[in-house]
Formats: sequence, C-alpha cells, structure tokens
Amino acid sequence: MLTKFETKSNRVKGLSFHPRRPWILASLHSGVIQMWDYRMGTLLDRFDEHDGPVRGVHFHATQPLFVSGGDDYKIKVWNYKTHRCLFTLHGHLDYIRTVQFHHEYPWIVSASDDQTIRIWNWQSRTCVAVLTGHNHYVMCASFHPKEDLVVSASLDQTVRVWDIGALRKKTVSPADDILRLTQMNTDLFGGVDAVVKYVLEGHDRGVNWASFHPTLPLIVSGADDRQVKLWRMNDTKAWEVDTLRGHMNNVSCVMFHAKQDIIVSNSEDKSIRIWDATKRTGIQTFRREHDRFWILSAHPEMNLLAAGHDSGMIVFKLERERPAFSVSGDTVFYVKDRFLRFFEFTTQKEVQLAPIRRPGSVSLNQSPKTLSYSPTENAVLICSDVDGGSYELYIVPKDSAGRADYLQDAKKGAGGSAVFVARNRFAVLEKSSNQVLVKNLKNEIVKKSPLPIATDAIYYAGTGNLLCKAEDRVTIFDLQQRLILGELQAPSVKYVVWSSDMESVALLSKHAVVIANKKLVHRCTLHETIRVKSGAWDENGVFIYTTLNHIKYCLPNGDSGIIKTLDVPIYITRVIGNNIFCLDRDGKNKLVTVDASEYIFKLALLRKRYDHVMSMIKNSQLCGQAVISYLQQKGFPEVALHFVKDEKTRFNLALESGNIQIAVASAKEIDDKDHWYRLGIEALRQGNVGIVEYAYQRTKNFERLAFLYLITGYMDKVGFMCKIAGQNNNLMGQFHNALYLGDALKRVEILENAGQLPLAYITATTHGLTEIADRLAAELGENIPSLPEGKARSLLIPPAPLTASGDWPLLRVMHGIFEGGLDATGKAELEEDDEAAGADWGDEDLDMVDASEAMANGGDGFDAEEGEANEEDGEEGGWDLEDLELPPEAETPKNAGNARSAVFVAPPPGMPVSLIWTQKSSLAGEHAAAGNFDTAMRLLSRQLGIKNFAPLKPLFVDLHMGSHSYLRALATAPIIPIAVEKGWSESASPNVRGPPALVFTFPQMEDRLKAAYKATTDGKFPEALRQFLSILHTIPLIVVDSRREVDEVKELIEIVREYVLGLRMELKRKELRDDVNRQQELAAYFTNCKLQRVHMRLVLGSAMGLCYKQKNFATAEHFARMLLENNPNEAQARRARQVQQQCSGKKDSSELNYDYRNPFVVCGATYVPIYRGQKDVSCPYCGSRFVPSIEGQLCTICELAVVGADASGLLCSPTQSR
Amino acid sequence: MASPDLLFNLRNLFYLGAYQAAINNSDVPGLDADAAAERDAIVFRSYVALGSYQLVISEIDSSAATSLQAVKLLALYLSGDKESAIVSLKEWLSDSAVGSNPVLRLIAGIIFMHEQDYTEALKHTHSGGTLDLHALNVQIFIKMHRSDYAEKQLKIMQQIDEDHTLTQLANAWLDIAVGGSKIREAYLIFQDFAEKYPMTGMVLNGKAVCCMHMGSFDEAETLLLEALNKDAKDPETLANLIVCNLHLGKPSSRYLSQLKLSHPDHVLVKRAVSAEDNFERALQAVA
Repeated sequence: MLTKFETKSNRVKGLSFHPRRPWILASLHSGVIQMWDYRMGTLLDRFDEHDGPVRGVHFHATQPLFVSGGDDYKIKVWNYKTHRCLFTLHGHLDYIRTVQFHHEYPWIVSASDDQTIRIWNWQSRTCVAVLTGHNHYVMCASFHPKEDLVVSASLDQTVRVWDIGALRKKTVSPADDILRLTQMNTDLFGGVDAVVKYVLEGHDRGVNWASFHPTLPLIVSGADDRQVKLWRMNDTKAWEVDTLRGHMNNVSCVMFHAKQDIIVSNSEDKSIRIWDATKRTGIQTFRREHDRFWILSAHPEMNLLAAGHDSGMIVFKLERERPAFSVSGDTVFYVKDRFLRFFEFTTQKEVQLAPIRRPGSVSLNQSPKTLSYSPTENAVLICSDVDGGSYELYIVPKDSAGRADYLQDAKKGAGGSAVFVARNRFAVLEKSSNQVLVKNLKNEIVKKSPLPIATDAIYYAGTGNLLCKAEDRVTIFDLQQRLILGELQAPSVKYVVWSSDMESVALLSKHAVVIANKKLVHRCTLHETIRVKSGAWDENGVFIYTTLNHIKYCLPNGDSGIIKTLDVPIYITRVIGNNIFCLDRDGKNKLVTVDASEYIFKLALLRKRYDHVMSMIKNSQLCGQAVISYLQQKGFPEVALHFVKDEKTRFNLALESGNIQIAVASAKEIDDKDHWYRLGIEALRQGNVGIVEYAYQRTKNFERLAFLYLITGYMDKVGFMCKIAGQNNNLMGQFHNALYLGDALKRVEILENAGQLPLAYITATTHGLTEIADRLAAELGENIPSLPEGKARSLLIPPAPLTASGDWPLLRVMHGIFEGGLDATGKAELEEDDEAAGADWGDEDLDMVDASEAMANGGDGFDAEEGEANEEDGEEGGWDLEDLELPPEAETPKNAGNARSAVFVAPPPGMPVSLIWTQKSSLAGEHAAAGNFDTAMRLLSRQLGIKNFAPLKPLFVDLHMGSHSYLRALATAPIIPIAVEKGWSESASPNVRGPPALVFTFPQMEDRLKAAYKATTDGKFPEALRQFLSILHTIPLIVVDSRREVDEVKELIEIVREYVLGLRMELKRKELRDDVNRQQELAAYFTNCKLQRVHMRLVLGSAMGLCYKQKNFATAEHFARMLLENNPNEAQARRARQVQQQCSGKKDSSELNYDYRNPFVVCGATYVPIYRGQKDVSCPYCGSRFVPSIEGQLCTICELAVVGADASGLLCSPTQSR
Repeated sequence: MASPDLLFNLRNLFYLGAYQAAINNSDVPGLDADAAAERDAIVFRSYVALGSYQLVISEIDSSAATSLQAVKLLALYLSGDKESAIVSLKEWLSDSAVGSNPVLRLIAGIIFMHEQDYTEALKHTHSGGTLDLHALNVQIFIKMHRSDYAEKQLKIMQQIDEDHTLTQLANAWLDIAVGGSKIREAYLIFQDFAEKYPMTGMVLNGKAVCCMHMGSFDEAETLLLEALNKDAKDPETLANLIVCNLHLGKPSSRYLSQLKLSHPDHVLVKRAVSAEDNFERALQAVA
C-alpha cells in the first residue's frame, strides 16, 4: 500500500473523491464535512450544518455539487463553489446511512435506518420513489453504474437488488402527466417504479455493505458475520458464488477494484484486505494499530482509494503506476503490458521487443520496478519486488525486434536491485550481506564486493561505478578499486538521473531534487511541496523535472521555475530542445512541447553568454517585470538596464550596476536635486571627478564644489568659486574659499567688507600684513583687540593636493555587448569621457596582459624544449634498440636446461597466418602479401609468362608491408604483428583464417583508369601512359571475389593494352620529325586502337588533319567519315565536313602502309599492321600482338611478360580454381 | 570491506600505455611495503617503456629490491648491453632465493621474447603467478601462433580477476589474434577503455587495428591520426598508419621514412627492408 495522504480527525464515516480535481470529501462523526486537497495536503473547506454524525457524502459527477446525509434525517445538497447548502430534502424518519448521485439522471439514492431506500430528484427537490422491503436498518444503497438497478444491504441479513427501470422510463418520457399522476398514487402505496428483483440471503448477520461490479454482473457484500460474499446474477436469478473469510470483526465496507481483478474490503478489525477476485484468496492485509475502518471509496478515474477510520482517513494506492524505463541514446526502453518495448525519439517509432515473464504469485506490486539496458549487448535487466526483490535478464537478439512471438528463458536471480555497470557486467545488490555481486551475461558471479555503506538500492554511475543509496546519503563506489569516489548527504533518494555526458547527476527524492556533479559534490537542492516524479537533463545542462502537477526546470545555479502545468503525472524520458518526451502511467509515449525560452534565457545569463541573451531579447517578447526583477535579484542590473524605459528605474539600475554614463543620462532626463545628489555620491565613490563636479554644478552645491576643487587641486577654480560666492553675497562661502586658497589678503578684505574689523585686524596682524593692520587699527581706534602673547604664529595654508589631475584612475570598464547592441541610441558624449578616464590604467592593463602572454609563451617554449628533450630521449631509445638486430647467433643456447624446463615443455610454435595464406592459394598477390616472393614470381611466370619483375618490386613490397597490422601488448615486450584478413563479417567464426586483405583492389584500378582517361583527354600523354602502365602492372597481383569480376579484370587488361599501344605510337610519332609518311601511318594506326569515343574523336581528328595536310585526300576523307560517325561536337563535325568536301574524289598523293578496308592489328613492338591472315605472336599477359620476329622478347606493351611464352592464363580469383 | 586498491589507477595507466601519466601519478600516499615495491617497479617499467634506460640504470643501485634489479636488467638489455644483461639475468634466475621473483621472471620472459627464444621465455613465465606473467604468456603464445594455449592462459587470468584491465587487454589481444567475430569484441573492449580512462595511443591503436581487421580503413585512419596527434613519434601509430594508407591507396612513404628514421628496428621497417632483399633473392631464384 502506498499512502499518499493522511488526515487526523474525528471518525470518518463517509468519503467521496472529486472526479477531476484532487479533492476528497470526508464526512465525520462530529457532523462536519471536510473537503481536502489530497495532493497538496491542505484542508480546502469545511461544511458544518448537519446536526450529529454525517454518514453519507457524494460528489456530483459534473456539477459543482455534493450531497450529504446524516443522523439528523436530513439530506443536504451543497454547492461547494458558493460554499452554500442549496436545499435540504426531508422525508427519512431515521438516520441516513448513505447518499449517492445518479451518474446520469438528477437522482439521489439514500439508505436509512427507517428501513427504506429513497430516490430523490434533486432538480425538482422531491422524493420520486420509496423502496420498501428491508425489515431492518438499510446500511447502504447504490445505483448500478450502467443499468437501472440499485443494490442495498441491510441489517436484516439480506442484500437486495432493485429494478428501477420503470422509474427511468417515467423520467425519460414525462409527457404523460395524467399517467404520471396515477402513478404517483401507486407510489404512495408501496410503489411499482422500483421493485425488488432479487433478495440475496446468505449472511448470518446484518449486512453492512454491498456494491456492484463496474462491468460484470457481480455483487460483493460484507456483513457483521465477518464475511465477504460474492454474488452473481443473470436476468432471472442471483446466487451466491463464494465467501471470503478472513476478517476478524464486522466487515464495514467492500468493493471491486475498477481496474484490477481484486476486491478491497475493510473492517472493524482495523484492517483493509485485498482479495483476488478470481481465485478468491487473500492477497494482502494492511492493518492499523488502533483504528477501526468504516468506509472505503474509490476514485472514479484514477487509481486511488480512500479509507475512513476512527481517527481520520487515508488516501492510498495499491500499486505503483510508474512504468519501468531506461533511456539509452536515442531510445527509451520500457515495459508495458508485459512486453518490453522501445521508442525512438527522433523517429517517434515504437517497437515491441519481447514478452517478459508473468510473475508466478498473484500479489500486489509485482510489476517491473526498474530497468537497466546495455546497448552494446542489447541486454535488459528488469527488477521487481517479486519474491522479495529479484531481477530478470533478457538478451534480445538484434533481429528479433518486432517479433512478439519470441519468448526466451530469462535468466533470473534474487537481489534488491540490479543494474548494468559495464557493457557485459551487471551488479546485483545483496542486502542481507550488504555486498554487490558482479555478474556476467551468463548470470555467473564474476566478483563479489562488499559495500561501504548500508545500501538499500544501487544505481548506475558510469562504467564500473555504482551509486549506492543508503537511508540518509548516497555514495559513488568504484567496484574495481573499491574506493568511494564521492559521498553526499541526501535523504531517501528514489531516482537518479545522469546527464548525457555523465558530468552531472540529479538525485530525486520524494520532496527534493539534489543536483551534484559526478563526484557527488553538491551543487544545489530544490525542495518541492508536491511529490517529485521524474526528470531528465536537456542538452544545455538544465535539469527538467516533473512533480505531480508541474513540469519545472532547474538551472545549474539552483534557480528553478515552472514550465508547464500538468493534468496527469508524467515521467520524463528525454528532453530535446522544446520537446519533452515522456511516458504516462499507461506506458504510452507522449511528446509535450514547451516554451523553453525562459530557462534558456536565464541559463544564457548565468553562463554570461550575452550575445545569446541579446539575441533572445531582440527576438522574443521576454521583457516583463518578472524578468527585470529576476535580473536585479540575480545581480544583473547591467542587463536589466537595457529592458527599462522608465528613467527613474533606469537611473537606479545604472547606479546599482555602477554604469555612471547611463546614470548621468538618466539624471539629465529626470533633473531633480535628489538624483543629482545620488549621482554625485556614486561618481565620487568611483572617483569620477568630472561627473562629481557636474553633479554639484547642477545642484548648485557650491560648498561641496569648492571643497572638491580644493582636494583635487584646481586652485584657480576655487578662486572662481570665491568670486561666485562674492557675487552671491555669500560671505561665509567667500571666506571659506579664501581660506582654501590660503590667501590671507583676501580674507582680510572679506572680513573688512563684512564689517568684522577686529577680525580683519587680527588676521592682518597675524599674517604680518602690517600696512593693512595699521590702516585697520586706525579705523578701529580704541577697539583694537589684543593679540595673545608669546604664541608662535603659523600660516594657515592648505596642504597641496596629492593628485592634481582630473579623474581618478579607473579600471577599464568592460564594454559589454549590451552597450553596443541594445543601447545604440546611447548617449555618446559620455562614452568618450569614459574612455579618457580609462586611458591611464587601461594601457597598463594591456601591458600586464602582454607580460602574462609573454610568460605563457615562455612557458610554452620551455615545454616545447622539454618535449624535444623527451623526443630526443625517445630517439636515443630507438637507436639503442637497433642493436637488437644482432645476428641470431647471439641467442642463448636453447637447451640451457634447468630444473624448471624439465617439467615444462613449451608447445611447438603454430603456423603463422601468412603461411596458411600461401598454402591455400595459387594467387600471386596473396603470396606476395605473405612475403613469399619467389613463389609469387613463379606463379606469375607460369600463369602469365612474366619474366621482368622489376616493375613489380614496389608492388610486392607494398603488399607485404600492408599485410599485417601492429598491436602493442605488454609494455616493452615485442609488439605483435597481426595478419590483416579480407572479407570480415560480424558472423565470421574465429580461428578460421581468411585470405589476406591486399592493398591493391579492383575498385582502385577503376579509379586509376578514370585518372588515366582524364590525362589522355587533356593530352598529357606521358602521364597517361604512366597511369595505364601502372594499372597493367598492378593487375597481376589483384584478387577479386567473383567470376564476373574476373571478366571485368580481363576486360580492363584489354582496354588498357589498347591505350598503351596507342599512346606509345603517338609518342613515337611525336619523336619523328622528318618522316611524314611514317607519322601519318602511326596516326592512322592509333585510330585502329579501341578507345573511348571522346578519345577516338580526338585521334581521328588528328589523323585527318595530318593526312589532309600531306594531301592524302582519300585517307583523310576516310578519317573524316569515321569522325562523323563518332558523334563529334559542332566544331569537329564542321571541320570533318569541310575535309570531306575538299577531298571527295581526290586521291592520296603518297602510298601509306594503311589499308582500312582490310582488318588488321598493330604490332606492339614494330608498329606495323598485321593484316588478317598474316602470322603473329602475342603477349601471354596483356594479349598484345606482334610480328613473329619479336617472339621471345619482352612485351613492349606490358613490359612484364615474354612474347609468345607459354602461360596458363590470368588467375585472379579463388573462384577460378574451383 | 576489503581495503581499497590504491595502485589501481597507477596500474591502469601503465597497462594502457600512459607511461608519463603513470610516473606523474605515482605519488600514492598510504602504501604498505609490498604495494610500494610494486609501485616502484611500475614506475621504473614506465621509464623503460619511455626509453629512459640510463635513468633507470643509474637510479637503481645494487641495494634495491630484486624486482627493481630485474627492471634494471631490462633497461640494460634494451639500452644495448644485451650480452651482459643476459648473463646477469641467467645468474639471477638460477639463484634459488630470487629466481622465482615474479618481476624477474616477467623481465626474463620479455628479454627472451626479444631474443625470439620463446621456449626459454616460457620456461620462466609458464608457471604464472601474477596477471602480468599470464598476460605475457598470452602474448608469447599469440606470437607463436598458438592461440589455443593463449586462450588457456586467458582463462586463468579470467578466473583470477575477469574485470582487471590486464585481463581485458589480454582478451582483446587474443580476440584480435583469432579474428572473425571476436574482432568486434576486441573493439568493444578498447571502446570500454576509451570511455573509462583517458584516451591513450595504445587504446587508439588497438581500436584502429580492430577497424582495419574489420575492413573499415577509413575509421582506422581517423583513429590513427588522433593517436598521431597525441604522440607524433609513436612507432605503432606510424606503422599502422602506413599499413592503413597502403590499403586506402594513399601515399605512405613519408610515414615510412619517419619510422625508418626514428625506429629503424621496427618490425615494419624490417619487413620492408627484408622484402627488398627477399625480392632480389627471389628474382635470382626464379631466373
């Protein structure tokens, strides 16, 4: 039982859930009706008009109404919105036990100790039916949820089912008033609107409760005989099905569960019992110490129950509704309806993976609790409370996705919780011994490790690490090192959510979210009044979490806020941008789109990403009082400044952020004394004398101004102030200024002018101004004040100011992005000021930066040197190692036997992979890769008649070098070369050696061919020739997989051969300068080669031109015709036609050894035509043809084989030898 | 609970080839005598692995523990003084008091492996005793192309501690050696290392080798270039990069010259050199 809410009060006799809001009504024995919010845990309202106990209470399904009935015989209908009792229904003659609204009609059914059941119409406020028949107190009466039935239970030991079909018909067709009147009469006499359908007898004592099954024709009843009885009915009869025994005292209330196949009952024996409705056995019992239970109520929609007892009530759930899930990359794995499923976030595709086992025993809370997934092995661990905590391990084959029929035997085990800690390892908590068992995928124990704290759950915390949760704290424990990596006080953590980079973790407990880093260093804690349900990290490091009714965010600094309100609880699985993916309680994947701008904005502020902030401010309508106060609160007045238009606020913010320029601008706008004064104070604090002066001037605060001038050393300005004071007749001011100036003469003058002659006299005398003193003495006559005798006199001269320059040195103010961007209007004249102010120090600042940069550079330099030194070391090492190449003779004698070798006989070495390659294969390339060059050569010689291997040398070396990769194993031990094999596949069985992966492949040849074509087109003949030859040289070493490819290779040889021949002739032609006839012949022969059309056109064009120039018109015409047949382009075609016109009918001027009417091939060595029927010899490899005299010489085309040699033919695929 | 394994981190750094990091992190407080000796051995083996032979030779004096003396012998051997190293090695080994020291036997195994005398190497290492020795056995058997024996050694290691870094590594070596579907497993093992510990050239090379054997040379190249960024002179990185580029049809001669210059005795260089001789010889034989 999961208690969600509990109240303490007088005895609770009646309960009713609100169908939509999280409210519950509790009617008390004291006469009070309470309305609670069970989610928030607050008392919303109380209704106290009944006199004596209130036993029945019920919310209306749609209207803001509820009904109550009490021991004062009254039924009251209330409007909870207006908090008023709308009316009272009188009629019952004794206590009222239960009241209930009809789900559809405006009816209320009530049961009373007066032995009747009444049905009331709350709209007309009349009683519409009285159901008589019970001959003792009627303890309960309720409508059937769908049919026209009422069930009642009575202390007369019966349960009765009443048919109210007639009543409904009357209500549905109320037109016939006369009929109705007669019926009313019959009502008075016992009524025919509601007739007893069945009387269920079987209980031995009074029956306290009876209720219908929500869908099936079943009734369950509970009685003072301590039994719960199950009844079935059909159209004609009803009978007892079974009895559930177990309660030790009167059963007070009993009901079917709406969603599960169970019966819930409670009793005066202080227990609530859960029964399996099919097997009719007790599943579970919840007991209270002292309180007898009186009433049960189920939520009409949600999976909630409530029970009232002697000292209050509880709201509870029988089973968890949280689906077990685990997020991995782009998918969430979860369990729904006994199936393991996954859901891809990007495609939003849902796939059913595999069925999971049903628990053997029927009891509550056996469904999967947690799920852990290992992506590489596609393995899933599902933990549940079955058998006091157990796990099941499913390994899902990759290809079984979507095949629901696939059922495998899961590997099982006992354990409090189980999680994957590595790709193929999972940890199982063994609570009894407080240790974890690390197991492999075969469910075998690999390792046991005791845990450092008394752990009651474990969670993943990175590979090889566990997060252990104890009562009051969590620790991260490294299983291999057996070290505690971090510890944090966090009471009763329930869920652990890691950020995707595993840098941050959120610990969710019932009413708190704790954010910490991967070492469990505390970052912040949030307290929630409503239960925290789930959470996920978004890609910016904001933690998004849900409570029962909100989606909220938490920034890294602990600021949080509400993103969205929820109707039903959801479990967040993943947050991508504005999209929040979640699972609901039915295990359905949902996508909630939210407005993320608020927390993104705050995050940007926090990270000081002002560019981001600014673009957000510009592009969205974020501005508002809330944002400004947030900014102010969070110490970003300088940012807030840019939101505000109101000058006074702006001024305040500017002062707060110390932005004196904006403050000045605002002060100018506001222009009142107080603001100037405050500006002056701030400016003085900053030492911005110019602004202070300005502020004092604006407020005409001459005293302060004068003093400012004095201390900043502007003595001339003090003198000016003195004058102003004089003009203003401000004697005191004038005198002060004179004093500041140290001008004794002036002081005397002022005093004299003021009529203070004695003072003037004293001043003059003291300062030794004897002339004036004498004059004043004369004026004073007898009243000459006496001067103190015997005192040393000193001049009253103010000390010289220390700094006599303008503003105080200021640190350079960062010109934030805001100044430029947002404040473009910005009060420019002042900014200049600021820069001037910053100048002195600013420069020095820069110097310092330079210096530190220099330091850094120096440091770098040092590092680099050190690095070099190291590298040199390394090189030395390398050279040292060279000595290893000492001849093997230096080896120690192998049979230096000692005691140990006598026992141990080392196995003989196995066969190297390269040897296996050569044994199996008769392909030259594979032999070369294996390093068996001689056999490779013999093969080539036998197959292709190759004698000249020189061009093949680099190819052989490359093949051999590329045949092995190198694996460094144990430090300083020799490295292991590993043979690189071809045709790897996931399913290839180990220890079966494949053929070598050769560094030359057929696709490479095709690429080279393209390059060679290009070179030909571009007219780079030597380059093209080189390319073609390289193909021709590589092909003997190529290995392909299929027959088809063998044919392609052969085809390639022919293509390349033709080009090589043609290009060789072309190059030869270019060498010949004088022999024009031979030139023409060679050009003509070139046209005989099989070329690509684009090349053929070029060749024909050149041959045509050559012949035309030499006036061999017939031949030229022939070339022109051929050119036209070869899809020439515009220019080529025009030229060909011109030649054709010019040449038509004309004859060749000279004889060429070229007869195009007679088919021929060209000798690859002598470049003469070999006409059909003439004898020739050919190259065994490339197939070039030669005149017989060449036989036995090296083929001039491929440069490899001997012309006319015996050869078995190209072998380039293992398929050929089969 | 059992006491925490204080050298865990250090050992991992060493096995995964982060030798300098191992040296830098060797100041572990609270070690008992045995652990301290092991620590010292690891530190000096790291220096040897970094090629600082002279440092090791001069730092370890005659009063040091047997295990350190053994490391000194290795440094001596690798610095070129092979014969005297082998002579003293044999002397030590025949001494019944110290002959069974696991580090000494390990070093003996390594030295005889360099000598390509696997029988002699196995003579000292076959009885095992430490994971290091078993791992060396795995390596020797792989070199002897006896993966059946290597597997037996690995089984022993797995019984001792299946999740130990060295066990995992040896598992990966063997997986690569036997090939086929096991390559994928080796790749996953290296991937695990990459996730759990700082990326080292050795791990990157391991992954790259797996990639090459799985036919994805492009990915291997990316990994190797990353490794080259970490250590531009690492011989295995260069060697594997040469092989990789050969398969990709890219020029590799620059890396080869680099390797020839820095590690003229590297297997690949030897292979290249011997290939040329071999070729000439074969020419003669065929002609």
